[in-house]
Amino acid sequence: MSPTSAPPRSLPARRLLPQMDHAAYQEGLRAMAPLAVAIGVWGLVTGVAMVNAGLTIPIALLMTFTVFAGSAQLAVLPLLATGTPLAVVWVTALLVNLRFVIFAAAGRRSFVHLPWQQRLVAGYLNGDLGFALFSRRFTEATDHGTPEQYGYFYGTAVVNWVSWQVASVAGILMGGLLPTEWGFVLAAYLALAAVLIPMVREVPALVGVAVTAALAVATVRWPMRLGLLVAVVAGVAVALAVEAVQGSVVARRAMPDSVLPQQGDA
Amino acid sequence: MSPLHDWPYLVAAIAGLTVITVATRTSFFLLPARFTLPAGIERALRYAPACALAAIVAQGVFAPEQRPFISWYNNQMWALLAGSLVFAKTRNMVATITVGMAVFTVLRLWA
Repeated sequence: MSPTSAPPRSLPARRLLPQMDHAAYQEGLRAMAPLAVAIGVWGLVTGVAMVNAGLTIPIALLMTFTVFAGSAQLAVLPLLATGTPLAVVWVTALLVNLRFVIFAAAGRRSFVHLPWQQRLVAGYLNGDLGFALFSRRFTEATDHGTPEQYGYFYGTAVVNWVSWQVASVAGILMGGLLPTEWGFVLAAYLALAAVLIPMVREVPALVGVAVTAALAVATVRWPMRLGLLVAVVAGVAVALAVEAVQGSVVARRAMPDSVLPQQGDA
Repeated sequence: MSPLHDWPYLVAAIAGLTVITVATRTSFFLLPARFTLPAGIERALRYAPACALAAIVAQGVFAPEQRPFISWYNNQMWALLAGSLVFAKTRNMVATITVGMAVFTVLRLWA
Protein backbone atom coordinates (compact mmCIF):
# COMPACT_ATOMS: atom_id res chain seq x y z
CA MET A 1 0.00 0.00 0.00
CA SER A 2 2.02 2.96 -1.14
CA PRO A 3 0.68 6.37 -0.19
CA THR A 4 -1.05 7.78 -3.28
CA SER A 5 -0.80 11.39 -2.12
CA ALA A 6 3.01 11.29 -1.97
CA PRO A 7 4.94 13.85 -4.00
CA PRO A 8 6.63 12.75 -7.25
CA ARG A 9 8.33 9.46 -6.48
CA SER A 10 11.53 10.13 -8.35
CA LEU A 11 14.05 9.71 -5.53
CA PRO A 12 14.93 6.06 -4.84
CA ALA A 13 14.56 6.85 -1.12
CA ARG A 14 10.86 7.50 -1.68
CA ARG A 15 10.42 3.99 -2.96
CA LEU A 16 12.44 2.44 -0.15
CA LEU A 17 11.03 4.35 2.81
CA PRO A 18 7.45 4.65 4.08
CA GLN A 19 5.77 7.94 4.93
CA MET A 20 6.99 9.16 8.29
CA ASP A 21 5.90 11.57 10.94
CA HIS A 22 8.69 14.10 11.44
CA ALA A 23 8.14 14.63 15.19
CA ALA A 24 8.23 10.87 15.79
CA TYR A 25 11.43 10.65 13.74
CA GLN A 26 13.01 13.24 16.03
CA GLU A 27 11.75 11.33 19.03
CA GLY A 28 13.40 8.17 17.72
CA LEU A 29 16.69 10.01 17.21
CA ARG A 30 16.55 11.31 20.79
CA ALA A 31 15.62 7.91 22.23
CA MET A 32 18.57 6.18 20.58
CA ALA A 33 21.15 8.98 21.07
CA PRO A 34 22.17 7.99 24.63
CA LEU A 35 22.90 4.46 23.38
CA ALA A 36 25.20 5.70 20.62
CA VAL A 37 28.28 5.46 22.87
CA ALA A 38 27.63 1.80 23.70
CA ILE A 39 26.92 1.01 20.04
CA GLY A 40 30.12 2.85 19.14
CA VAL A 41 32.26 0.84 21.55
CA TRP A 42 30.75 -2.38 20.27
CA GLY A 43 31.43 -1.29 16.68
CA LEU A 44 34.97 -0.24 17.55
CA VAL A 45 35.71 -3.60 19.17
CA THR A 46 34.23 -5.43 16.19
CA GLY A 47 36.33 -3.39 13.77
CA VAL A 48 39.55 -3.88 15.74
CA ALA A 49 38.86 -7.59 16.25
CA MET A 50 38.23 -8.19 12.54
CA VAL A 51 41.55 -6.68 11.50
CA ASN A 52 43.42 -8.07 14.52
CA ALA A 53 42.20 -11.55 13.63
CA GLY A 54 43.89 -11.06 10.26
CA LEU A 55 41.21 -9.79 7.85
CA THR A 56 42.51 -7.24 5.39
CA ILE A 57 41.08 -3.72 5.60
CA PRO A 58 39.03 -3.94 2.36
CA ILE A 59 37.48 -7.26 3.41
CA ALA A 60 36.72 -5.95 6.90
CA LEU A 61 35.08 -2.84 5.41
CA LEU A 62 33.05 -4.97 3.02
CA MET A 63 31.89 -7.11 5.92
CA THR A 64 30.89 -4.22 8.14
CA PHE A 65 28.88 -2.45 5.43
CA THR A 66 27.08 -5.53 4.15
CA VAL A 67 26.58 -7.91 7.07
CA PHE A 68 25.80 -5.21 9.67
CA ALA A 69 25.34 -7.68 12.54
CA GLY A 70 27.94 -7.40 15.29
CA SER A 71 27.36 -10.67 17.11
CA ALA A 72 27.34 -12.71 13.91
CA GLN A 73 30.43 -10.95 12.58
CA LEU A 74 32.38 -11.59 15.79
CA ALA A 75 31.09 -15.14 16.09
CA VAL A 76 32.33 -16.22 12.66
CA LEU A 77 35.74 -14.52 12.93
CA PRO A 78 37.53 -17.46 14.59
CA LEU A 79 35.89 -19.78 12.06
CA LEU A 80 37.05 -17.70 9.07
CA ALA A 81 40.55 -17.50 10.55
CA THR A 82 40.81 -21.29 10.49
CA GLY A 83 39.29 -21.71 7.03
CA THR A 84 36.18 -23.49 8.31
CA PRO A 85 33.90 -24.75 5.50
CA LEU A 86 31.39 -22.10 4.46
CA ALA A 87 28.38 -24.21 5.41
CA VAL A 88 29.52 -24.31 9.04
CA VAL A 89 30.30 -20.58 9.02
CA TRP A 90 26.83 -19.82 7.69
CA VAL A 91 24.96 -22.15 10.03
CA THR A 92 26.80 -20.61 13.00
CA ALA A 93 25.77 -17.11 11.90
CA LEU A 94 22.23 -18.34 11.34
CA LEU A 95 22.07 -19.70 14.90
CA VAL A 96 23.36 -16.44 16.36
CA ASN A 97 20.85 -14.52 14.22
CA LEU A 98 17.80 -16.63 15.04
CA ARG A 99 16.77 -14.08 17.65
CA PHE A 100 15.99 -11.72 14.75
CA VAL A 101 13.27 -14.11 13.58
CA ILE A 102 11.53 -13.57 16.92
CA PHE A 103 11.92 -9.79 16.54
CA ALA A 104 10.46 -9.94 13.03
CA ALA A 105 7.52 -12.01 14.23
CA ALA A 106 6.90 -9.56 17.07
CA GLY A 107 7.14 -6.45 14.89
CA ARG A 108 5.43 -7.66 11.75
CA ARG A 109 2.04 -6.03 12.44
CA SER A 110 3.65 -2.62 11.99
CA PHE A 111 5.43 -3.43 8.73
CA VAL A 112 3.43 -6.08 6.93
CA HIS A 113 1.34 -3.58 4.92
CA LEU A 114 4.32 -1.90 3.27
CA PRO A 115 5.55 -2.69 -0.26
CA TRP A 116 8.10 -5.50 -0.14
CA GLN A 117 11.11 -3.27 -0.85
CA GLN A 118 10.22 -1.16 2.16
CA ARG A 119 9.77 -4.25 4.34
CA LEU A 120 13.18 -5.47 3.23
CA VAL A 121 14.88 -2.19 4.19
CA ALA A 122 13.05 -1.98 7.53
CA GLY A 123 13.89 -5.58 8.33
CA TYR A 124 17.55 -5.11 7.47
CA LEU A 125 17.71 -2.18 9.92
CA ASN A 126 15.80 -4.01 12.66
CA GLY A 127 18.69 -4.65 15.05
CA ASP A 128 18.54 -5.52 18.72
CA LEU A 129 18.41 -2.04 20.25
CA GLY A 130 16.05 -0.45 17.76
CA PHE A 131 13.69 -3.37 18.21
CA ALA A 132 13.88 -3.06 22.00
CA LEU A 133 13.06 0.67 21.92
CA PHE A 134 10.32 0.26 19.32
CA SER A 135 8.62 -2.55 21.28
CA ARG A 136 8.74 -0.57 24.49
CA ARG A 137 7.45 2.63 22.85
CA PHE A 138 4.48 0.98 21.10
CA THR A 139 3.45 -1.81 23.50
CA GLU A 140 0.09 -0.13 24.07
CA ALA A 141 -0.48 0.83 20.43
CA THR A 142 -3.74 -0.30 18.86
CA ASP A 143 -2.98 1.06 15.37
CA HIS A 144 -0.08 -0.52 13.55
CA GLY A 145 1.87 0.77 10.60
CA THR A 146 1.30 4.47 11.29
CA PRO A 147 3.60 7.27 10.04
CA GLU A 148 4.36 7.88 13.72
CA GLN A 149 5.67 4.33 14.13
CA TYR A 150 7.72 4.51 10.95
CA GLY A 151 9.18 7.88 11.97
CA TYR A 152 10.22 6.56 15.38
CA PHE A 153 11.62 3.36 13.89
CA TYR A 154 13.76 5.16 11.33
CA GLY A 155 14.92 7.72 13.92
CA THR A 156 16.36 4.93 16.06
CA ALA A 157 17.66 3.09 12.98
CA VAL A 158 19.61 6.10 11.70
CA VAL A 159 21.42 6.63 15.03
CA ASN A 160 22.13 2.91 15.26
CA TRP A 161 23.45 2.60 11.71
CA VAL A 162 25.58 5.75 11.76
CA SER A 163 27.19 5.19 15.17
CA TRP A 164 27.83 1.52 14.37
CA GLN A 165 29.41 2.18 10.96
CA VAL A 166 31.51 5.19 12.01
CA ALA A 167 32.91 3.28 14.98
CA SER A 168 33.46 0.09 12.95
CA VAL A 169 35.42 1.94 10.28
CA ALA A 170 37.50 3.66 12.98
CA GLY A 171 38.16 0.27 14.58
CA ILE A 172 39.13 -1.29 11.25
CA LEU A 173 41.60 1.52 10.51
CA MET A 174 43.01 1.37 14.07
CA GLY A 175 43.11 -2.42 14.21
CA GLY A 176 46.12 -2.70 11.93
CA LEU A 177 48.15 -0.47 14.25
CA LEU A 178 47.55 -2.59 17.35
CA PRO A 179 49.91 -5.54 17.89
CA THR A 180 48.26 -8.97 17.82
CA GLU A 181 49.90 -9.91 21.16
CA TRP A 182 47.74 -7.33 22.89
CA GLY A 183 44.99 -9.88 22.37
CA PHE A 184 42.19 -7.71 21.04
CA VAL A 185 40.40 -10.79 19.80
CA LEU A 186 39.63 -11.34 23.48
CA ALA A 187 37.75 -8.02 23.46
CA ALA A 188 35.40 -9.62 20.95
CA TYR A 189 34.72 -12.52 23.31
CA LEU A 190 34.12 -10.10 26.18
CA ALA A 191 31.64 -8.19 24.03
CA LEU A 192 29.88 -11.44 23.08
CA ALA A 193 29.75 -12.40 26.77
CA ALA A 194 28.02 -9.09 27.48
CA VAL A 195 25.40 -9.96 24.84
CA LEU A 196 25.09 -13.51 26.16
CA ILE A 197 24.71 -12.89 29.91
CA PRO A 198 21.30 -11.11 29.76
CA MET A 199 19.97 -14.07 27.76
CA VAL A 200 20.58 -16.54 30.61
CA ARG A 201 18.38 -15.24 33.37
CA GLU A 202 16.41 -18.47 33.73
CA VAL A 203 17.50 -21.96 34.75
CA PRO A 204 16.84 -23.76 31.41
CA ALA A 205 18.94 -21.24 29.50
CA LEU A 206 21.70 -21.46 32.10
CA VAL A 207 21.86 -25.26 31.89
CA GLY A 208 21.69 -25.20 28.10
CA VAL A 209 24.49 -22.66 27.86
CA ALA A 210 26.69 -24.61 30.31
CA VAL A 211 26.17 -27.86 28.39
CA THR A 212 26.91 -26.12 25.09
CA ALA A 213 30.08 -24.48 26.42
CA ALA A 214 31.45 -27.75 27.83
CA LEU A 215 30.65 -29.69 24.64
CA ALA A 216 32.04 -26.97 22.40
CA VAL A 217 35.41 -27.14 24.17
CA ALA A 218 35.40 -30.94 24.29
CA THR A 219 34.66 -31.23 20.56
CA VAL A 220 36.89 -28.40 19.36
CA ARG A 221 39.14 -30.81 17.43
CA TRP A 222 36.32 -32.38 15.44
CA PRO A 223 36.75 -31.89 11.71
CA MET A 224 35.21 -28.78 10.10
CA ARG A 225 34.31 -27.37 13.54
CA LEU A 226 31.22 -29.58 13.46
CA GLY A 227 31.46 -29.96 17.24
CA LEU A 228 30.29 -26.37 17.49
CA LEU A 229 26.97 -27.17 15.84
CA VAL A 230 26.53 -30.42 17.76
CA ALA A 231 27.15 -28.51 21.00
CA VAL A 232 24.50 -25.91 20.15
CA VAL A 233 21.88 -28.47 19.16
CA ALA A 234 22.56 -30.45 22.36
CA GLY A 235 22.42 -27.28 24.47
CA VAL A 236 19.08 -26.20 23.01
CA ALA A 237 17.66 -29.70 23.51
CA VAL A 238 18.81 -29.75 27.14
CA ALA A 239 17.36 -26.28 27.76
CA LEU A 240 13.99 -27.36 26.34
CA ALA A 241 14.10 -30.56 28.42
CA VAL A 242 14.84 -28.63 31.62
CA GLU A 243 12.01 -26.25 30.78
CA ALA A 244 9.64 -29.20 30.34
CA VAL A 245 10.77 -30.76 33.63
CA GLN A 246 10.27 -27.46 35.41
CA GLY A 247 6.61 -27.92 34.67
CA SER A 248 4.10 -25.83 32.83
CA VAL A 249 5.50 -22.73 31.32
CA VAL A 250 4.48 -19.83 33.49
CA ALA A 251 2.65 -17.19 31.47
CA ARG A 252 5.33 -16.08 29.06
CA ARG A 253 5.96 -12.43 28.53
CA ALA A 254 4.64 -11.19 25.22
CA MET A 255 8.02 -9.74 24.25
CA PRO A 256 11.06 -11.97 24.07
CA ASP A 257 12.92 -9.95 26.74
CA SER A 258 15.35 -12.74 27.33
CA VAL A 259 16.87 -12.44 23.89
CA LEU A 260 17.35 -8.69 24.08
CA PRO A 261 20.78 -7.45 25.01
CA GLN A 262 20.94 -4.63 27.53
CA GLN A 263 23.07 -2.52 25.26
CA GLY A 264 25.44 -2.78 22.36
CA ASP A 265 24.80 -4.95 19.37
CA ALA A 266 23.85 -3.45 16.05
CA MET B 1 47.83 -19.59 2.08
CA SER B 2 46.15 -18.26 5.20
CA PRO B 3 42.37 -18.47 4.87
CA LEU B 4 42.29 -14.77 5.76
CA HIS B 5 44.00 -13.93 2.49
CA ASP B 6 41.87 -16.28 0.42
CA TRP B 7 39.60 -13.53 -0.83
CA PRO B 8 37.16 -15.62 -2.90
CA TYR B 9 36.48 -17.66 0.26
CA LEU B 10 35.97 -14.51 2.31
CA VAL B 11 33.80 -12.73 -0.25
CA ALA B 12 31.61 -15.83 -0.56
CA ALA B 13 31.42 -16.06 3.23
CA ILE B 14 30.43 -12.38 3.52
CA ALA B 15 27.82 -12.67 0.76
CA GLY B 16 26.25 -15.62 2.58
CA LEU B 17 26.38 -13.83 5.94
CA THR B 18 24.61 -10.82 4.42
CA VAL B 19 21.87 -13.01 2.97
CA ILE B 20 21.46 -14.79 6.33
CA THR B 21 21.20 -11.54 8.27
CA VAL B 22 18.68 -10.02 5.86
CA ALA B 23 16.72 -13.28 5.73
CA THR B 24 16.44 -13.61 9.52
CA ARG B 25 15.67 -9.93 10.13
CA THR B 26 13.06 -9.69 7.41
CA SER B 27 11.66 -13.22 7.82
CA PHE B 28 8.24 -12.49 9.27
CA PHE B 29 8.01 -9.09 7.61
CA LEU B 30 7.94 -10.86 4.24
CA LEU B 31 6.02 -14.05 5.03
CA PRO B 32 2.28 -14.09 4.32
CA ALA B 33 0.13 -13.52 7.42
CA ARG B 34 -0.99 -17.14 7.64
CA PHE B 35 2.51 -18.13 8.77
CA THR B 36 2.92 -17.69 12.51
CA LEU B 37 5.63 -18.64 14.95
CA PRO B 38 4.49 -21.70 16.96
CA ALA B 39 5.23 -21.38 20.69
CA GLY B 40 7.44 -24.47 20.75
CA ILE B 41 9.60 -23.21 17.89
CA GLU B 42 9.80 -19.79 19.47
CA ARG B 43 11.18 -21.31 22.68
CA ALA B 44 13.85 -23.21 20.74
CA LEU B 45 14.69 -20.01 18.85
CA ARG B 46 15.13 -18.19 22.15
CA TYR B 47 17.76 -20.67 23.35
CA ALA B 48 19.68 -21.08 20.09
CA PRO B 49 21.40 -17.66 19.98
CA ALA B 50 22.50 -17.92 23.63
CA CYS B 51 23.90 -21.41 23.02
CA ALA B 52 25.63 -20.37 19.78
CA LEU B 53 27.29 -17.42 21.49
CA ALA B 54 28.30 -19.64 24.43
CA ALA B 55 29.89 -22.15 22.04
CA ILE B 56 31.93 -19.44 20.29
CA VAL B 57 33.06 -17.76 23.52
CA ALA B 58 33.88 -21.10 25.17
CA GLN B 59 35.97 -22.30 22.23
CA GLY B 60 37.71 -18.94 21.88
CA VAL B 61 38.58 -18.64 25.55
CA PHE B 62 39.03 -22.25 26.67
CA ALA B 63 40.44 -23.68 23.42
CA PRO B 64 42.25 -20.74 21.82
CA GLU B 65 44.54 -22.88 19.62
CA GLN B 66 41.84 -25.43 18.67
CA ARG B 67 42.94 -27.45 21.69
CA PRO B 68 41.35 -27.44 25.16
CA PHE B 69 43.39 -25.23 27.49
CA ILE B 70 41.77 -25.39 30.90
CA SER B 71 44.43 -24.27 33.30
CA TRP B 72 45.19 -21.67 35.96
CA TYR B 73 47.61 -20.25 33.38
CA ASN B 74 44.83 -19.48 30.90
CA ASN B 75 44.89 -15.67 31.08
CA GLN B 76 41.84 -15.31 28.85
CA MET B 77 39.83 -17.37 31.33
CA TRP B 78 40.54 -14.94 34.18
CA ALA B 79 39.80 -11.99 31.93
CA LEU B 80 36.45 -13.50 30.93
CA LEU B 81 35.62 -14.25 34.56
CA ALA B 82 36.46 -10.70 35.65
CA GLY B 83 34.59 -9.18 32.70
CA SER B 84 31.51 -11.32 33.33
CA LEU B 85 31.41 -10.33 37.01
CA VAL B 86 31.69 -6.67 36.05
CA PHE B 87 28.89 -7.07 33.52
CA ALA B 88 26.65 -8.89 36.01
CA LYS B 89 27.17 -6.00 38.44
CA THR B 90 27.04 -3.01 36.06
CA ARG B 91 25.30 -4.19 32.85
CA ASN B 92 27.87 -1.99 31.12
CA MET B 93 29.61 -3.40 28.06
CA VAL B 94 32.31 -0.72 28.02
CA ALA B 95 33.29 -1.50 31.64
CA THR B 96 33.20 -5.23 30.87
CA ILE B 97 35.64 -4.93 27.97
CA THR B 98 37.90 -2.48 29.82
CA VAL B 99 38.21 -4.61 32.95
CA GLY B 100 38.56 -7.86 31.01
CA MET B 101 41.33 -6.45 28.80
CA ALA B 102 43.06 -4.89 31.82
CA VAL B 103 43.11 -8.23 33.67
CA PHE B 104 44.37 -10.00 30.55
CA THR B 105 47.12 -7.44 29.98
CA VAL B 106 48.30 -7.50 33.60
CA LEU B 107 48.50 -11.31 33.58
CA ARG B 108 50.19 -11.36 30.17
CA LEU B 109 52.91 -8.93 31.25
CA TRP B 110 53.48 -9.89 34.87
CA ALA B 111 52.15 -13.34 35.64
